[in-house]
Amino acid sequence: MGKDVAMAEAEAPNPDKGDQEKTTPEPQRPLVVLRGGLAVIKKAVEQKETRTLFGRLLRQTAGVRRRLTAADLTAFLNGALPQGSPVVQQLVDAVQQAGESAMEADGAANGTDGGAAAAPPAEEVAAPSGLPEVEAYCHLVTLMFLVDHKQWAAAQAVAGAAVERLSAHNRRTLDVLAARIYAYLSLAHERSGSLAAIRSSLLGLHRTAVLRHDDVGAETLLNLLLRNYLHYNLYDQAERLRAKAHRPEASRSMQQACRYLYYLGRIRAVQLEYSEAKDCLQQAARKAPSSAVGFRVAVAKWLVLVRLLLGEVPDRTELTAPDMAAQLAPYFAVAAAVRSGDLNAFSNVAATHAAVFRADRTQNLIVRLRHNVIRAGLRRISLAYSRISLADVAQRLGLASVQDTESIVAKAIRDGSIEGSINHEAGTLESARPVDVYATEEPASAFHARIAFCMDVHNEAIKAMRYGEGGGAVQEFEDATALRERQEQELQAALEEDEDF
Amino acid sequence: MAAAMVAAPPPPTTSAGHVLALLDEDDDALKLHALQLLDASVQDFWFQIASSIGAIEALFEDEEFGHRQLAALVASKVFYHLGDLDDALSYALGAGPLFDVAGTSEYVQTILARCIDTYVEQRVAEAEGHGDAAAPDARLVAIVERLFARCFSDGQYEQAVGVALESRRLDQLEAAITRSADPVKTLKYALDVSQRLVVSRDFRNQVLRLVVNQYEKVAQPDFGAICQCMMVLDDADEVANILFRLLGGSEDEALLAYQIAFDLVDAELQAFMAKVNSRLDTLAPAPAAPAAAEGAAPAEGEQHMETDQPAEAAPAEEEASPFAKRLAVFKTVISGDVPTELERQFLARHNHADLQILKNIRASVEPRNSVCHSATVFANSVMHCGTTVDAFLRENLDWLKKATNWAKFGATAGLGVIHRGNVGKSRAIMAPYLPSAPGGSTPSPYSEGGALYALGLIHTSHGQGVRQFLLDSLRTTQHEVIQHGACLGLGVAALGTGDEEAFEDIKNVLYMDNAVAGEAAGLSLGLLCAGSGTEKAAELLAYAHETQHEKIIRGVAVSLALIQYGREEEAEGMIEQMTSELDPILRYGGMFVIGLAYCGTSNNAAIQKLLHFAVSDVSNDVRRAAVMNLGYVLASTPEQCPKIVSLLAESYNPHVRYGAAMAVGIACAGTGLREAVALLEPLIKDSVDFVQQGALIAMALVLVEQPEARVKPLRAHIDRLYGNKGAEVMTRMGAVMAAGILDCGGRNATIGLRSRSGHFRRTAVLGLTLFSQYWYWYPLSYCIALAVQPSALIGVDASLRAPKAFQVVSNCRASQFAYAAPVKVDDKKDKAKLPTAVLSTTARAKARAAKKSKDAAKDAGAGGEAAKEAGGAEAMETDKPAAAKVAEGEKKEGEEAAVEKKEPEPTSFTADNPARVAPAQRRFISFPEGQRYAPIRAAPSGFVVLRDTQPDAGEAEYLFEEEKPAAAPAAPSTDEAAPAAAPPAAGAGSGDEPPPPEPFEQPGSSLQAERTMSGTEWWRGVTDKGKTEIPGAEATELRSAQWQIERDAPEGVQQQLEQGDKEAEQVEAYRDKQDPDYHPSKEKEG
Repeated sequence: MGKDVAMAEAEAPNPDKGDQEKTTPEPQRPLVVLRGGLAVIKKAVEQKETRTLFGRLLRQTAGVRRRLTAADLTAFLNGALPQGSPVVQQLVDAVQQAGESAMEADGAANGTDGGAAAAPPAEEVAAPSGLPEVEAYCHLVTLMFLVDHKQWAAAQAVAGAAVERLSAHNRRTLDVLAARIYAYLSLAHERSGSLAAIRSSLLGLHRTAVLRHDDVGAETLLNLLLRNYLHYNLYDQAERLRAKAHRPEASRSMQQACRYLYYLGRIRAVQLEYSEAKDCLQQAARKAPSSAVGFRVAVAKWLVLVRLLLGEVPDRTELTAPDMAAQLAPYFAVAAAVRSGDLNAFSNVAATHAAVFRADRTQNLIVRLRHNVIRAGLRRISLAYSRISLADVAQRLGLASVQDTESIVAKAIRDGSIEGSINHEAGTLESARPVDVYATEEPASAFHARIAFCMDVHNEAIKAMRYGEGGGAVQEFEDATALRERQEQELQAALEEDEDF
Repeated sequence: MAAAMVAAPPPPTTSAGHVLALLDEDDDALKLHALQLLDASVQDFWFQIASSIGAIEALFEDEEFGHRQLAALVASKVFYHLGDLDDALSYALGAGPLFDVAGTSEYVQTILARCIDTYVEQRVAEAEGHGDAAAPDARLVAIVERLFARCFSDGQYEQAVGVALESRRLDQLEAAITRSADPVKTLKYALDVSQRLVVSRDFRNQVLRLVVNQYEKVAQPDFGAICQCMMVLDDADEVANILFRLLGGSEDEALLAYQIAFDLVDAELQAFMAKVNSRLDTLAPAPAAPAAAEGAAPAEGEQHMETDQPAEAAPAEEEASPFAKRLAVFKTVISGDVPTELERQFLARHNHADLQILKNIRASVEPRNSVCHSATVFANSVMHCGTTVDAFLRENLDWLKKATNWAKFGATAGLGVIHRGNVGKSRAIMAPYLPSAPGGSTPSPYSEGGALYALGLIHTSHGQGVRQFLLDSLRTTQHEVIQHGACLGLGVAALGTGDEEAFEDIKNVLYMDNAVAGEAAGLSLGLLCAGSGTEKAAELLAYAHETQHEKIIRGVAVSLALIQYGREEEAEGMIEQMTSELDPILRYGGMFVIGLAYCGTSNNAAIQKLLHFAVSDVSNDVRRAAVMNLGYVLASTPEQCPKIVSLLAESYNPHVRYGAAMAVGIACAGTGLREAVALLEPLIKDSVDFVQQGALIAMALVLVEQPEARVKPLRAHIDRLYGNKGAEVMTRMGAVMAAGILDCGGRNATIGLRSRSGHFRRTAVLGLTLFSQYWYWYPLSYCIALAVQPSALIGVDASLRAPKAFQVVSNCRASQFAYAAPVKVDDKKDKAKLPTAVLSTTARAKARAAKKSKDAAKDAGAGGEAAKEAGGAEAMETDKPAAAKVAEGEKKEGEEAAVEKKEPEPTSFTADNPARVAPAQRRFISFPEGQRYAPIRAAPSGFVVLRDTQPDAGEAEYLFEEEKPAAAPAAPSTDEAAPAAAPPAAGAGSGDEPPPPEPFEQPGSSLQAERTMSGTEWWRGVTDKGKTEIPGAEATELRSAQWQIERDAPEGVQQQLEQGDKEAEQVEAYRDKQDPDYHPSKEKEG
């Protein structure tokens, strides 16, 4: 269940989804916003602009998404697309079906829809346009509506048709919209459990996007593919694809970059490369917009486990943040158990929340954690006692046999997780004196890392200083003629004053 | 992999691991099976197969394996997915027939595109002969051949043409043309593409030759296009043959021949036309008989021919064969006589230059500031370029006399600009100033030199008539100023002829190592050999190394650029040599070599080279020149230029900014491009004066003859500047020059670097290059006249006269391209600005009269823009009272429409025969059906030869006929015009018959005039001494400083100066009495 929510949010981590509605006193009617979007599209196509304007369009659309009604959408579709095109028919049918089922579901609640539909025709209606971008936008809005009403089958059909139509065009102005449509195509299939069926076509689309230098599309599709593989636990395939596939040097979209890092972190975690996994997951958590709670929760779960596996103990506040506390509760319990090094407590936690872990696909990491629990316990012991008998260790850790304990302790010493030695004759664990950290190179290297970080920031800042579009030196020139005139006038004024005296 | 094995049930296969494992088996059948499976599923598992690509490659390498090609195909697909297209291509080639060329999949298409790219690269490397140019892979060739075959079978001939051109496959190009369904269309496409996209000049010429050959095989060849190609190829014989055949053909063919001749003349390639002419002469006598046998005699126009060109028509009369007559008529075109005369008539009659603008400038520019003074004279000349209207000069004789020394040289040269194209009367016009003028010598070598230069300008590209005279003048004089003028004049008049005799003479002047004369000689040599890439260039360069005079070095450096015009790759050696010189002046010339050699090619290598120098050279002059020359290279794609120089326009270095402004001005001249204006706007308000100057001039170049609404802000800005005492002198000079350029040719001309057929006009480009040298030498600014191109649509019939009853429709509002409204006389402003000394009763009366006439014109035309048009028409009617009724009726209607202001302006209007068609207006022009005259070829501007569809409809009426007597204008004999005989008679700015040109200065008086200026006598000494090496800018500074001293001097000193003037005058008068033949040059010789 938790996963469901997480994924939905992760699909659309949209910063100002709710905020806009709250700040504007009277939110604009959805139909008006959608029609305004058409003007934005036309402008973007004219200017051959592929990013800013489409970004604005999508934000506006997301702003009204929740309030969209079937009647509004039908009116919009009829107005936006040329009459009689098969696309309109298909979309309108899909919307109507979805609308009906929604009506049945909420009964009277949506009774006002009719009224809303009656009003709009008064607005000025832009002439229908044959632009492929407009068509793509219509598909996209319809898809959002269907997804919001959980009409997965219809969404699949519409998304499939949209991809079909998109393949006929090779226009960079379509890229952003197309990427969104691919995302919804994948989502619809995921919900109806048929993700594997579209893997091949996603691969094809990805190839096409790379060939056409469609960075946004390539990035999105690569993420969808990774998601697709991870959904079936095909970590190996995912890693191979990731390693071989072309990725643009600079990410075009922060959201896609976050997702990529998240998937990469998961792959690395499964591959036992925890520190790399931690880096990726941490970056993903930092870069994710604060409103994308579901995504951040999903990242946090993996991050907690990876850090535990690394032997670190996450900060308590990380796990008890108010918006995530409820969903992170099982992981909080795990972290507490690992921290205490109490094997029994850990087994209890693992057993109670087994269902959650399985749903989150973190079960195998939990299993791996058992060693960490033991190691954490061992460390506590080695810090507390300068010498302790192995039997006592076994008892404290809740291990059955002393011989097992001896092996475990020996391995822990060899791995370097505890400092000390085993006295086999006496059957005791003798801890080494804690070393003076300041005598080592540790502080220097830490210091070096910080300096490197600062230099990096500095270099990035310098790189970012470039001439802007049309800005630059010319505007800074003072109007020379005006300056000279002014000086002349001042001189004149001064002379006149002189004459007065 | 473990995870993969645990995979969820739904997908059939999630890994290709098991298939890959089969590759390690020994059995070939298993391997084959594996490859087949992989081939089918490569899209889904390429990233997995990529790990085992080594095994697949090994299979391909394995000679014994039976299915190597399949392995190659799989490898190719994997590499394709990995994004390594080169490897993908090489394996696809290895796959042989398994690689399906006809496939529509993305894979196949991408590989094919790569295939063509590689092939083109290899072919080009092979053709250029550099590097290890091995012949392309046979398999590659096979694939390309298959592609060609498919193009042909699918009917995609244009695609085939494109690939053939890119890969330099002339055979395939020929095949594409011959096999296409519509060869003419394909030919046109090939021609167009080859002009625009083929980089190598050699190959382009090969293509042109091929296209021409193909054109001739077509059933109805487009002779116009063929002749244009031939002109580019410089194949005069072939052109002459074609024209000869056409002249011997039917009536229509003869008309077509005329039309072609007009088009060829438009490109202004003097030497080429001369060759065609002589070739026609050799052809003419023999086959005259068969031509006569056809018998279709164009009887019409015979008489007129006589009157037009008696000398030419006379032999025709004797032979009395129609062919001979045609030939004679034809020769008047090809010699350029008829076109220049018609254009001159057009410019003279439609002159709309606003004298009030000049008056305002004159009034607000203090006359003692010689920089602004000569800029004003320049503005007047350019404004009246080719109109033969010198009213302004005659009205302001006193003011004009203030020009001394080189300013006088320039002012006299300005007369040549005003009378440009008045070839027949040139000697008469300039007679008062020429060295050999009867009645003793003229006093000033400066006006003599200027007059020789002016003669050259009048005869631009039609220099046969004046060459000998200039040459004689050059030989007889030893005075450096006169030599200077004669060299420039000769260079301009004989531009591009490669005249050996003149070359030797001028070279002698150069080797005298005199700075002033040497500079002109250098430039002149360049002009003579323009575009020839002659071997003598090396000799010149060697001399540039030898001489000590910077002026000469500069002259030679620029002339080398002129010589290399359009040579493209052939100029590389010279470019290499000059750009690596230590002397910055030679590097400066090197920049111009790059610019002119690659003029209008948008060649990437050239642009890169220029950009490199623009940012890295140590000399500001070189950087400025480098940026400026980007304008020439990008002249064919003006929309690119503002983008490329936009960053340079923001440079910290003012020289680079200046260069950027000029580059945009050159590349976008006459286009009115919005981006160009947007780039120049901030530069106009730059903090450095000369950048403002450059931006103003560039802006004027860009906006010349654009719709008035666009030009208005610039006009307003110029108005603010020239009268503004606070502005820097350089800025004001720029403003005045810009005012002149903006209204060039009486607002009926544009700065046209290209002929109407789209080829670059060498004369115009070189003229603009010389104009840009005004930075160092002001008199060179007059060379802009070479680039002025009348924007007229002139219809001529078989007799080469312009019939009245021909009209074109312009599908736009009349006001859109109308002339600018005349400037209002602002009395107050005038009073405030005019120095009291100049204000005289006559001047006021003049102003009143001008105002009255203007008001009257306004009343008649009810003020609207269209009224201006009508006003011009009225003037025409007064010229010819017996105007065609039809035309008049039309006009009346038009006038009424204009009067009724409330009615919305009609969306189209008709224009009478010599119609002014502004560049932006061309796309609105159409030819109405059902007229008596139908165009042979519907071109929106230039000359259009008309076919008389109703030859029986009676005698046609022609334009410009009444003046025939007057057009041989009262050439003023030198002695006749006394100062009193030059009254301010002509009405200013009206469309009246252009008054006969008269000298603004007179032998007797000008000497005196010069002496009265002798308050500056000492300064003249400065120039005489310092003229050797003072660059223009410094001289300007010196001069302006001098004026400043004088202006600021206390009363007493001024009185003293005046006193001194008077004394000097007396001395002069005395000396005159003693020695009437006194001449400054003689004094110098001792």
